[in-house]
This record gives sequence, structure tokens and C-alpha cells, in this order.
Amino acid sequence: MRRAPSWPRHAIMIAVSVLMLIPFYWVLKTSLTGENIYAYPPRIVPVDPHLYNYVDVWYLIPFPRYLLNSLIVTAMAICGNLLFNTAAGYALTKQFPGRRWIVLLLLSCMLIPFQATIIPAYLITAQLGVLNTHLGIALPLLSTIICIFIFKASFESVPRSLIDAARVDGLGEWRIVVRILLPLSKSAVATNVILTFIWSWNAFMWPLIVTRSPEMQTLPLGLARFLSVLEDTTGALYAFVVLVLVPGLAIFLMAQKEFIRGLTSGATKG
Amino acid sequence: MAGITLRAVRKSFGEVAVVHGVDLEIADREFVVFVGPSGCGKSTLLRMIAGLEDITSGEISIDGRVVNELDPKDRDVAMVFQDYALYPHMTVYENMAFSMRYRGVAKDEIRRRVGHAAKILDIESLVARMPRQLSGGQRQRVAMGRAIVRDPKVFLFDEPLSNLDAKLRVQMRTEIKRLRERVATTTIYVTHDQVEAMTLADRIVILNHGRIEQIGTPEEVYDTPATVFVAGFIGAPPMNLLPQQDVLMGVRPEHLVWHSGSEAPFLSGRATVVEPLGSDTLVSLDVAGTQVIARLPPKLVRRAGEEVALAADPANIHYFDRTTGNRR
Ligand SMILES: Nc1ncnc2c1ncn2[C@@H]1O[C@H](COP(=O)(O)OP(=O)(O)OP(=O)(O)O)[C@@H](O)[C@H]1O
Ligand SMILES: [Mg+2]
Repeated sequence: MRRAPSWPRHAIMIAVSVLMLIPFYWVLKTSLTGENIYAYPPRIVPVDPHLYNYVDVWYLIPFPRYLLNSLIVTAMAICGNLLFNTAAGYALTKQFPGRRWIVLLLLSCMLIPFQATIIPAYLITAQLGVLNTHLGIALPLLSTIICIFIFKASFESVPRSLIDAARVDGLGEWRIVVRILLPLSKSAVATNVILTFIWSWNAFMWPLIVTRSPEMQTLPLGLARFLSVLEDTTGALYAFVVLVLVPGLAIFLMAQKEFIRGLTSGATKG
Repeated sequence: MAGITLRAVRKSFGEVAVVHGVDLEIADREFVVFVGPSGCGKSTLLRMIAGLEDITSGEISIDGRVVNELDPKDRDVAMVFQDYALYPHMTVYENMAFSMRYRGVAKDEIRRRVGHAAKILDIESLVARMPRQLSGGQRQRVAMGRAIVRDPKVFLFDEPLSNLDAKLRVQMRTEIKRLRERVATTTIYVTHDQVEAMTLADRIVILNHGRIEQIGTPEEVYDTPATVFVAGFIGAPPMNLLPQQDVLMGVRPEHLVWHSGSEAPFLSGRATVVEPLGSDTLVSLDVAGTQVIARLPPKLVRRAGEEVALAADPANIHYFDRTTGNRR
């Protein structure tokens, strides 16, 4: 039997990829030239590309400060997620009274939009005295229900005898999670890291509410501020956007294999 | 080195009682095999001894110390699982060294012990591999190596050979037997294969529905089965049981011989199935409505339909109470 030629499929995929990449390319091109995005006809190839816009963004506004804030908050959110979600996910793989109700409660909480919880979240954050701090910005992102279930599913697919073997080998619960379950749940970890990164990196509303001083602002807030402060900002604005995008792309590229496996595992067994 | 004592051990999962009061005394260095049909509670009992399952009531002690409340890690037992349970993300070496890392064994000592165990089990060339790069038999060896390196008080095996093909199973069985000579540690071995039980055990514990039917050496359980259940479970093909008034009369297929004298035969009937095995022939007879199997020398009976008369030595005939099933 002859296999169908693969080039039509590849051609379609290349075409779709190009379509998806055009906006990114446009952002990159504009950041290097600063040309008016409404210019007609648009130029495909950048004319005298330069890096001045990047220099402007780095020095004229407190970009490094925003970046640092974003990095700290995102790191906190990722650490919190890994810690709390693995613990909760592991707990849910066990049988205990009321387990069904807890699962139900968690699932129903997923139905509540974040906007509806902003006021209580703000009050709690204020009570804890962490308004206008990195911890305060990261707080609502420290655990995500969907990722608890991703971990639960992943842990449940680890054969029970492995856990028994580890227990006989002398490991306590925490060590079982860290030495056996997590190494066998790489895709769940990658999925959780990427999703948390995206949510935290792009968070706008919550950081806007809990930060008071410009020094605490994160990149999305900085971007918004930037828009309202400078004139003729096209080039610099796009440079800013590129700088915001790069870390996310880097993380995604590093972890994409595990990420895709995490999202689709359960669909195909093993 | 340690003995194990079970006193009135019971286990229930919620409402369902699975193990109903087991009493058992296992001597130091003894090799005890639990056999019984699927679902009779062998694994549950073993897991309770390992500490992986709570004990509903009763008492288990290892080396004179009650371990009911001890975690598995404090009981100093090593377990080999039916699916081997090798850690897939660690090499063979790491698998074998893993437990020692948490017991404060020095690096050099770990290396020495893993090397020694690998040598005994003939897996020295595999230590750098990952479990998925091993065959079933090799994984089985690694799983045993992982238990040996710990030098525990007790080995627990839960059907370690059941995932291997027939030939490899026989080979590994011999190997476990040979291992016994070199590593004399108290062992409990669970299987539902009665040949494994007979060949490996110092003593066999036959379980049924969460109760002990009989404890004894392989000879004892074969020669003097305590109950009808044991009579039917040990031996292949199983003992023939013929109802007679209030008793069941039992005789093993291999104890039925060709009738030649002039006195009345022990039993006679028409052959229904003839299965030549080469060394001998299994003949199924219909004796007054009861199916009886006899292991006869080859070529005595050639085809189904022949009338067959058989004799039996009275010393080889067993009697069981029809209502209680106990030996009389
Ligand atoms: N976690 C559990 N919850 C409820 N019932 C259980 C549980 N584990 C085992 N059982 C029940 O306990 C009984 C004994 O199980 P066990 O695994 O000990 O049998 P076994 O003798 O090892 O059988 P096999 O030869 O098939 O391995 C079975 O009826 C089983 O359904
Ligand atoms: Mg079992």
C-alpha cells in the first residue's frame, strides 16, 4: 500500500503557521522601525531597523522595575501553585470522609468568575496587610483549581504499587510526592508552570487593584501607563510588547513538549 | 532475622470482612507460602504484615515486637510486587540503592551491597539501564535485587512470577530456590500456583475466604489434607471426591491403579476422555454419575468408551465429613 504524499498536509500547516506568525512579525518589525502602523501600502521588510526604541523603553520608563515585579510575582505564583496544587492533588487521590463534597466544592468554585470575587479577595488581602506588596499581587494566583485536578489525574495514573514500594522503601508522604510522583508527572508540572506563567504574567485587573505605588506595578500595568504618558509611542510601545512577550515565549518553547502531553494525557492512555 | 506472629488478625473494608481471624506462627528463616484461590485475602494479609493496610483487629508482631502501629518503613520488611513496581525514572542501580539512601547507609556501603546483589542475581551488566529497557525476567530480578540489598528482617513476595511466561516462571522458581540457600531470610511468598507453593515452601498456608484451611509442610498438605477444600486445591489434577452416605471419599488420580486381581475393583466406569501426556495418561471416568480422573501408565486405555476398572490402596483413601468438609 502506498502512503498518501505528505506535502499537501505540510503545505497547509506552513500556510497556517505563517498566518499565525504575521502579527508577531508585525510587532517585531514595528518595534525596530517605529513606522506608522496605518502607513499604506504597508512595508513587508523593515526599512533601517534600529534598537533605539528598546533603549528608550529600558531607560525612559522604569521598565526594569516592572520586569522585576512581574518576575517576582510570577515566581511566587508558580512556586505557590506547585506547592499547593501537588499537595491538594495528592490529597484528593486518597479516600477520606467528605472527599466527594470537597471535589464538588472545588468544581463549583471554578464556575465563579474572578471578577465576582474581587471584593472579598481585596478585603482578605487588606486584612492580611499585604496590599501593595508582591505577595498581595500573587495571592489569588497561588493555587488554581484546574491545575489541582491536572495533578490529581496525573498522580492517579501512577501505579499504586509504586507508591506502596516507596512506602516500604521508607519514604514518608512528602518524599513520595517529591521523589516518585512529581518526576513521573513532568507534563502536569510543565502544564501548571506554563498556565500559571501566562495568567500571572498577563494579569491586569488584580494588580491594578492591589498596587498603589508605581514601584509595585507589573508589566501589563506599566504598559497601560506607558500608553497614557507618552506621545507618538508606536515604536517604543511595540518594543515594550516584544520585551513582555519574550520571557513567555522562552518558557513555552522550553516546556512545550511536556505541556502538550499534559493537556492531552488522559485522551491517550500512557 | 526474625519470626512473625499473627494473632486473630482480621480485616474489613468498610462493611465487608475479608480476613476472618488468622492465627499463624512463622519461625525465623522459615519460607512460608500463602496459597489460595483468587480473592481469598492473600494479598490483603501480606499487605497488613508489610504495613500497607491497617489491621482491623488482632495483632501482628515481627521479631517479638508488635508492629500494628508501625509504618512500613519502621517494620524493616522488603516487598516484591506482582508488577515489580520498579521506579521508571531511575536506573536499575538507583532502584536498588533507593531505599538505603533513606536509611543512612554510607555511599560506599550502598555500592558494595548493590554490586553484591547484582552479582548474586546475575544482573551486573544491567545496572545502568532504565527499567523500560529490561525484559520481564530481568525486571523480576531487579525487583528481587531491590529487596535483597536491604537485608531486611522479612521478605514479602506477592505473586512475583505471575507475569512471566510459563518457561521463565519455572526457571525463576528454581532460581528463587537457589537464592534461598544464599540469603536465608524469613520469607512469606504469596501465590495461587500450587506447584510454586509445593516446590518452594517450608510450610504452606492454604487460605480460603479469608480463613486458614490448613498449615503444614508440602508433604503434610498433600498426604493428609485437613479439609475437602485443601484436598481439591493441592494436587493437579485435584483429588477425586466420591460421595458415600455421610462422607466424601477422596482419592488422588495418581493413587488409582489398574485393577488386575480377582476381587471386586475399587471403582469402575466408562472412560469419557483420554488425555495422553507422554509419561502417563489422564483418563476421565464416569463412575455412577461422578467424574473421576485417574493418572495411569500410558497405553493402558486408548480411547474413550472403554470400560475401566481401577484399584486403590486403602492407605491412600481419605474421608471427609460431608457437611463440615473436615477430615475424618
Ligand atoms: N481496597 C479494597 N477495598 C475493598 N475491598 C478490597 C480491597 N482490597 C481487596 N479487597 C477485597 O478483599 C478480598 C481479598 O483481596 P486480595 O487482594 O487479598 O485477594 P488475593 O487473595 O490476593 O487474590 P488474587 O490471587 O486475585 O491476588 C477480595 O474480595 C477483594 O475484592
Ligand atoms: Mg493478590
